[in-house]
Amino acid sequence: MMANWYRLTKALVLATGLMTSAAHAEETVVWWDFLAGGDGVRMKQLISDFNAAHQGEIKIDATTLEWGTPFYSKVQTSAAVGEAPDVMTYHASRIPLAVRQGILQEITSQDWNTMGLGKDDYAAATWDAVTVDGKQYAVPLDTHPIVLYYNKDLLAKAGVLGDDGKPKGMDSREGFEATLQALKDSGVKFPLGSVTADGNFMFRTIYSLMGQQDGELMTGDEFLAGDNAEKLQNALSVLQDWTKNGLQSTYTDYPATVALFTSGEAAMMINGVWEVPTMTDLQKEGKLFEWGAVELPVIFDHPSTYADSHTFAIPANKGEEMTAEKRAAVLEVISWISKNSLLWATAGHIPAYAPVTASADYKAMEPNATYSSLTSNMIFDPKTPLAGIAGPIFDVMSTYFVPTLNGEMEPAEAVEEIKLGLEDL
Amino acid sequence: MNAQTARRLNLAGLFITLFTVVAATLWAFPLYWGVVSSLKPEDEVVRPYIELWPDTLTFSHYIFALTETEIGRWYLNSIVTALSVTVLTVSSSLLCGYAISQLKFPFRNLLWWLILASFMVPMQTLIVNHFELVANLGLINTWAGIVLPQLIHPVIIIVYKQFFDGVPKDFREAAVMDNASEWRILTRVYIPMNWGVTTALCIVCFIWSWNSFLWPFLAVTRTDMMTITVGITQVNDAFGVYYARELSAAVLAGLPVALAYLIFQRRVTEAITLSAGIKG
Amino acid sequence: MLRNRRSETMFALALVAPFVAIYGLVFIYPTIKLFMISLTDAPLIGEGSYVGLANYTRLASDRRFETALWNTGYFVLLTVIPGTFVAYAIALGVNRLSGRMQAAVLALFFLPYILPVSVVYLIWDWTLNFQFGIAMYVFDLLDIQRIPVFKSTLWFMPAVGLITIWWTAGFSILLFLAGLRSIPGEIYEAAALDNAGRWATFSRITWPLMWPVTALVLTIQLISQLKIFDQVYLFSTGGRPNDNLVLVYYIFLRAFQSDQGGRAAAAAVVLFFIVIIVSVLNFQLTRLSGGRSR
Repeated sequence: MMANWYRLTKALVLATGLMTSAAHAEETVVWWDFLAGGDGVRMKQLISDFNAAHQGEIKIDATTLEWGTPFYSKVQTSAAVGEAPDVMTYHASRIPLAVRQGILQEITSQDWNTMGLGKDDYAAATWDAVTVDGKQYAVPLDTHPIVLYYNKDLLAKAGVLGDDGKPKGMDSREGFEATLQALKDSGVKFPLGSVTADGNFMFRTIYSLMGQQDGELMTGDEFLAGDNAEKLQNALSVLQDWTKNGLQSTYTDYPATVALFTSGEAAMMINGVWEVPTMTDLQKEGKLFEWGAVELPVIFDHPSTYADSHTFAIPANKGEEMTAEKRAAVLEVISWISKNSLLWATAGHIPAYAPVTASADYKAMEPNATYSSLTSNMIFDPKTPLAGIAGPIFDVMSTYFVPTLNGEMEPAEAVEEIKLGLEDL
Repeated sequence: MNAQTARRLNLAGLFITLFTVVAATLWAFPLYWGVVSSLKPEDEVVRPYIELWPDTLTFSHYIFALTETEIGRWYLNSIVTALSVTVLTVSSSLLCGYAISQLKFPFRNLLWWLILASFMVPMQTLIVNHFELVANLGLINTWAGIVLPQLIHPVIIIVYKQFFDGVPKDFREAAVMDNASEWRILTRVYIPMNWGVTTALCIVCFIWSWNSFLWPFLAVTRTDMMTITVGITQVNDAFGVYYARELSAAVLAGLPVALAYLIFQRRVTEAITLSAGIKG
Repeated sequence: MLRNRRSETMFALALVAPFVAIYGLVFIYPTIKLFMISLTDAPLIGEGSYVGLANYTRLASDRRFETALWNTGYFVLLTVIPGTFVAYAIALGVNRLSGRMQAAVLALFFLPYILPVSVVYLIWDWTLNFQFGIAMYVFDLLDIQRIPVFKSTLWFMPAVGLITIWWTAGFSILLFLAGLRSIPGEIYEAAALDNAGRWATFSRITWPLMWPVTALVLTIQLISQLKIFDQVYLFSTGGRPNDNLVLVYYIFLRAFQSDQGGRAAAAAVVLFFIVIIVSVLNFQLTRLSGGRSR
């Protein structure tokens, strides 16, 4: 009886599905992203440009979901039940995990030909990031590091704005802390706006600080091997000290951090390049002070900044075969947006498609040009299924960041918990 | 009792009354604050001091929510699924409660005990299996998929059975004497006499379903199929400072149930007490 | 007559059929499935192979599961008795009022209960927002240090507990009010003639007569708080150092984030038995302590 019921319901559902899809001649591409920062506005623009250019042929039906764990959990369960979108944004760092879970379709060499894109259009590291066992599973869109935003007016008032328009003291821990202290002394409420209420976010800053000491998360198969645990502890200690000395905002979540900076309550802010459009747009409306963005200060031995890449991936929907027409439409979407990613660069990101970054327009773009020096100092997640946004390492580490950064937990204890935590998963 | 103690008691009584009223106002204050904040422009919302009434009253966040987001679609999903849950649960429970109370059939006691036992089982423990079941039926991201696992509310059967148990046997005997069919007895005699209970149960069932979060959150992966309760926390369409906009979505999500309560206050009260097994 | 009885049986079966069908499909079948997959290494969707009791033995040594047990217990402690107490007090206060005043005051106390959890979340997240929440401005006025309520380990659970009490008290208040109204007025009149004070009247009359309702409210609260998930999940945005991990959350993470259906099911079975054991114990205890009228 049960089996019949199953079959009947399935048939009914299928029938209604067929009827609705037969009515459209236009191919609809269901798109998911997690771009809810200032860059989301630019992507919306790109999507509507695409739709306008492909009227009657392809239409992108886009949705923005909650970034991070909620997004990736949804993708995972959706793919398992054949309900994933046709195309989605995906972090390159998470590709090894996704491939192991079998939720991404390979981008075949035929696909690359169809899109008119290929290995030569990307930097070697970028291409490598989407490659697992010699096969590609995504199309790179950009690289997005974090940077230091600063309020020129407040810095000038505190006397810590250099003649080159950049903050002073960017080359050492002492120097940077002196700058923060000067800002505090000048009456600024929060010298540094820091997303201290969101461990997920702080992963980027902390990993950058580990990178400045040549620390690594995975050594072969071992997590935090050797003195890497100590390097993590050093990174946490610096940030905790800033809290203790009242130099950064505490327990601040993401939107509040941006609000503190844009309202002038925080003089500087460590955030992703994707907030560049928030600033440019506000300034255009005349609602913002003079601002700038530079590479992260050198707190330890040498410059190093964490970066990840946004890519486009095609989910492997269980039990569903993508039609040739649909696949062609999806490839057109990816290809078109990649080639038109100059607009995406105004969202702060560094486009992955080399012809765009080679263009004169891009090279003249500000503030991208100011922080472009960091591209040679970027570090990425280790390439393992344990890594990536909302992956096991990310999950366990970020769990203990909030109490540590706000002074509730000692850095040494946090490191101990983090090491134990990965075994629990 | 002498006059002095009486006066003291009255004074104490007055104090308690006053305290209750003040407490009620404070109790509901966050609701007021949520509504007021949603009527302020975003830059006014983050002003660093308390402002109990907006300087500039604006409905722009509501207009944004209603025109620029999928909230209309979520309303539809919520209404359809909550109504379906209500109709299906209440009607199947009514029939079952009636049969258990008034009719003889094999395994009647076994069924009754199973229902009583299931009262104790936490539905949250079944999420994994419900997900698998609904996925196998191909019902993820459908109204039916949202509705199906919500159809079990043993308490409604229990209330109906108790109600029918309380009806004197004469009613039934008289009807049987009149040679009325079983169906007629049910629809003409028993159902009309408990419209009050049915309405009350329908209202709470609707509210429960409208408010349910965990299952609709799991059963839907596409934003256009989300219920409003889930949608307003899962979709991020706002950029920069967005507090007032979020609150306007919250107000929109809470409004229908709040109105339903204010209109049917007495019925809701009755239904809640019924559902807990207390005769109100 | 015989024919009649047969038709009665057929009719009865027809009436129970819809419910039994639903019940079988969404209750009996998933419950059996739950126990079965808890013995396998199945992912969320799809078959796994039989692993015996491995999932259960792993639970025993799983620190996160242990944390989940403790956190659930902590949450129950924070909400059940305090929540019942608060609702009782409010009901006593409301019961003294009459007419429209009573209806209005009751409505204010009850309104939160009918709101969806996500609305409750958004409103409180805003009210207690560390930077812009009105509660923080009040703290500033009173010269109290601001508290990052949902971000600090010390405050997270108590805050979610308080909000849960605020959210669900309306339900308990109604039950208490119904109980208070069913106490005959003559008893109080008799007490007044005896010159009994306010406290004596409460402790000798109201409290004992209300005990069955109190026990009922405690039971309902206990069972529902063991199953806590929604609020904790919503308030955890941004990640918590496991101080938010309750049992249903653990099940959810195992199944929907780590894709381990079998291990999730094993944890679910544990919760299943905890709730049943607690329910049965509770039922027995309230019966032993007497006064239960049903």
